[in-house]
Amino acid sequence: MSVPVMTVPGEPPAPVASAAVRAAGLRKTYGSGETAVHALAGVDVAFAAGEFTAIMGPSGSGKSTLMHCLAGLDTASGGEVWLGDTELTRLRDDQLTTLRRRRIGFVFQAFNLLPVLDARENIVLPMQLAGQRPDPAWFDAVIARLGLRERLEHRPHELSGGQQQRVAIARALLARPDVVFADEPTGNLDSRSGAEVLGLLRSSVKETGQTVVMVTHDPVAASYADRVVLLADGRLAGELTDPTAETVLDALRGLGA
Amino acid sequence: MRTVLLAQLRTHAARLIASTLAVVIAVGFVVATLVLNETSRSTVLNAVGARYVDTAAVVSSSGEPLTGDVDAVESLPSVGAVAAAWETSVQADVPGRTGSQYLAVETVADAPELRWQQLSDGRLPERTGELAVSERARAEVGDVLTISTYDAEGEVTEAQATVTGIVRLEGDPEAGLYGRAFVTEQQVRDWGATDLYELRIAAAPGSSDAQVLADVAAAVTGPDVVVRSGVEQAEHEAAMLTGDSTALTSVLLVFGTVAVVVAGLVIANTFAVLLAQRTRELALLRCVGATAKQVRRSVLGEALATGFVSSAVGVAAGIGLAGLISTLVGSDSAIPLAGLTVPAYTVLAGLLVGTLVTVLAALAPARAATRVAPLAALRPVDPAPLRSRPGLLRLVLGLLMAVPGTALLVLGVVVQSVYVGLPGGVLSFLGIVLLAQRAVPPVVAAAGGLVARIGGVPARLAAGNATRNPRRTAATATALLIGVTLTSAFVVGAASTRATATAGLDAEFPTDVVVQGFSDDLPASLPATLGDVDQVVRTAPVLAADVTGPDGEPVYVHGVDAGTAGAAMRSTDKVLLPGPGQVVVPEWAAEYYSVRDGDPFPLTADGRSLDLVAQVTGENQPLMVDAADLRTLAPEPGLAEVWVMLDDADPDAQVAAVDRVTDVVAEADETARVTGIVTMRDEINEVLDILLLVVTGLLAVAVVIALIGVGNTLALSVVERRQENGLLRALGLTRGQLRGLLAWEAVLVAGVASVLGVVVGGAYGLAGAASVLGEVGDIVLDVPWLQVAAIVVVATLAGLLASVLPARRAARTAPVAAIAAA
Ligand SMILES: Nc1ncnc2c1ncn2[C@@H]1O[C@H](COP(=O)(O)OP(=O)(O)OP(=O)(O)O)[C@@H](O)[C@H]1O
Ligand SMILES: [Mg+2]
Repeated sequence: MSVPVMTVPGEPPAPVASAAVRAAGLRKTYGSGETAVHALAGVDVAFAAGEFTAIMGPSGSGKSTLMHCLAGLDTASGGEVWLGDTELTRLRDDQLTTLRRRRIGFVFQAFNLLPVLDARENIVLPMQLAGQRPDPAWFDAVIARLGLRERLEHRPHELSGGQQQRVAIARALLARPDVVFADEPTGNLDSRSGAEVLGLLRSSVKETGQTVVMVTHDPVAASYADRVVLLADGRLAGELTDPTAETVLDALRGLGA
Repeated sequence: MRTVLLAQLRTHAARLIASTLAVVIAVGFVVATLVLNETSRSTVLNAVGARYVDTAAVVSSSGEPLTGDVDAVESLPSVGAVAAAWETSVQADVPGRTGSQYLAVETVADAPELRWQQLSDGRLPERTGELAVSERARAEVGDVLTISTYDAEGEVTEAQATVTGIVRLEGDPEAGLYGRAFVTEQQVRDWGATDLYELRIAAAPGSSDAQVLADVAAAVTGPDVVVRSGVEQAEHEAAMLTGDSTALTSVLLVFGTVAVVVAGLVIANTFAVLLAQRTRELALLRCVGATAKQVRRSVLGEALATGFVSSAVGVAAGIGLAGLISTLVGSDSAIPLAGLTVPAYTVLAGLLVGTLVTVLAALAPARAATRVAPLAALRPVDPAPLRSRPGLLRLVLGLLMAVPGTALLVLGVVVQSVYVGLPGGVLSFLGIVLLAQRAVPPVVAAAGGLVARIGGVPARLAAGNATRNPRRTAATATALLIGVTLTSAFVVGAASTRATATAGLDAEFPTDVVVQGFSDDLPASLPATLGDVDQVVRTAPVLAADVTGPDGEPVYVHGVDAGTAGAAMRSTDKVLLPGPGQVVVPEWAAEYYSVRDGDPFPLTADGRSLDLVAQVTGENQPLMVDAADLRTLAPEPGLAEVWVMLDDADPDAQVAAVDRVTDVVAEADETARVTGIVTMRDEINEVLDILLLVVTGLLAVAVVIALIGVGNTLALSVVERRQENGLLRALGLTRGQLRGLLAWEAVLVAGVASVLGVVVGGAYGLAGAASVLGEVGDIVLDVPWLQVAAIVVVATLAGLLASVLPARRAARTAPVAAIAAA
């Protein structure tokens, strides 16, 4: 059993030359005055390119909020978010939108797919929105890896939860985005399907150098990652490299979760 | 469940506002129709039946005079007063105006309750030597008129009479025809009234009108005598004037039925969308233990509450709307919508129709709601679109209604009966609405392929959205389809009605102005003189002479030149003009001489003779031969009439032209009588225009309902697609593209609905006009292409407009919020 490497909370992260995404002094406040909730109270974090990172923390600690801000889905109340050389916090809504479809991939916990489109159409949708055609060889490779060949003409309601998540992953990978964000992608799945989905994310990082950031509650899921970032009360509460289910569980206990 | 119901009503107030609005407008529509119907009915009645509506009974005779019956009626205990309607006519000289004019003279009742005349100035006459005149006479209070009366021998008697008042004949289509005078009973008789054909009777205090009617009917009997209640008589007169009142009633009947059907369809539609949108909520209720029955009751309870409250608002709105239309139309028109007539039944009907239709319309959706499996609440994505039993049932039901309905409609056109055509139309329309659910999606898909090619990704997505959720598309499209179908049905129907009516009026009143001599001795130069009068286009002389008929007895024959006379008439449909060698014989004369069409008909005069061929006509015409033939028989025939055709101009200019003709004629021949038929035609035209205006106004309401339906459905589907739209935004759809997506969808659906609606509606309009007007006369069908094209454009743009607010709302949704709502 390896000793977890903990960093001191509040200390700025070591500058990462090849950071795909990073945040500096990121804050997000809901409401104002007495009832203000500081979902993010000054977060400094960086995610290296070609790395699989898990974000963990107690419920309400700000994981989803952090991910939304990093992905340009939500606006921050303060601080900066950088995607490579682009500062997201300076972009207008339209610029953010076009950036999302070209450079960011998403996998959500539920409601990932448009019910009126079949699997193939769902997968190519972001590229279609960007007015691009998917590279057929790459499309075939992704489909083959995710085992979706037989399912391409099916509509979402004809797919199992695991299959739906695999379609979502295919969609996220197809455009070869700078980073793929996944918010509890296995939250609705049984352990076998969950393991399958995590294995696929893992292999996309290993084999194609895809950057993946995943929010999860599950220490086993987190153990698939290269690194675990811990959040508590809207602040960074430490991180683990090369996590296992046990080290993650220990670290979470340390946070009182 | 009551707590759930109340909570539903509270939390979904916003959604209910939309459906409430639909009910309010639909009920308002029905009530406004009924109220305007009543108002126009009472206005027409008041206008042409003013003298009758407030009387208890009216006795009229078409044969024996009633002179001897007055005392008998007056002595009945239930009778309060009797007005004997003596009538005559005189020639009058108005100071400051050249020549004399024809005045129809009527009696002013002694009893105040039987005086119906409305004065714009002065008072009614009280003694002989006084008279009140209509505005057409162009005299003023205080003028002293010289009145000439002629006895049977043509001997003239002159008298003076002072104008005491000016009578307003507002709304009477005959008011512009000639001047009218109102004098005391004694005066009418002094001026030559000899026979009495009408008695108007008021009830004695304490007696009911029904009592009077019964007593009078018992007291006055005779083969040609008719006793009617005042209202009946007024309706009878109105019918006589407008030619046939059933046409009017039919139009309004069609309209009322249509209003109710539309209301039901729109409400059903709204509820279906409303409940479809709450599927998950209802399923959750089932999950936590509500029985299917409880869910159904909760839904129906909601419908009942919504229906009643919004019906009440709708009734008020409808009466308000009718009031507004009445004021707008009422100000300056020949038959004004005077005030508002709101019988209690209109209010009750509004409440009942609104509540009942809402509950009935909610029945099917409520049943569907109870079929929702509790599991639906837990399903993460939308269930598969329905293409099972209900769809098939709808198809079968739709065909079962559309096919026989269309057959009935066609039958209605063939036999020209609105009572056959109307149920056929309603049935087939309901069938088409059901079938539209099936037919619209494929058409939208085809149009979507086209749109996707020009509109980029949002258009492609919109086409996909519109075709991949056929139920939603069909529901949205049907609302507009209904509105557009009705609009175009009425536009096309109205155009045909208008064309038919114009043709009918031209045939009924072919000449603009007729100048008649007292005997056949008009100056021979008159046609030429009149031809020089401003605005007179053409004149045609009508000659006359006494000749000897086939039976050897003298007979009075008119002579015209068919070419000249035909050119001076608006239409020769109902007038038979003789060619050389022919004689036009009316039926009564044919019977008298025992001749049939094509039989020889010899005429002789002073030893000259002509062998003519009889042309028998059903119209009421005098015996008529070719002018040249008449000259052969009687070398110096008299000039009996001059037919005058005027320029097409506005009604005021034509009245002025008739006045000029009157003046010129009076200078040439004092005793001649000028009848300005053109003014009567104008007045009737104006009445038709107002009717069409009223119908069009009501129709605008139907279109507004349809548009609210479109906006409603789109707004609901935006709520429904919150997650979808959020996901699209997350995946890179810009706000503008999202708005574009909804706009394209609206244009696609609205465009398809309006094109289909115009085609179907046009067919209904033609069929409706054919079956309604068939009862009245010859039909002239007319399709106003420009207006029809405008409907398509306006409806499509309106659909686009209806998408603006929902689209803005959809675009405002932050992508995160949409995802979080999962
Ligand atoms: N729209 C909002 N309005 C107000 N407060 C919010 C909103 N969204 C999140 N919060 C608050 O911000 C804090 C962080 O929420 P967030 O969803 O990021 O937590 P999380 O770590 O993802 O929790 P979980 O593990 O339960 O998903 C919570 O206290 C939450 O109540
Ligand atoms: Mg979360």
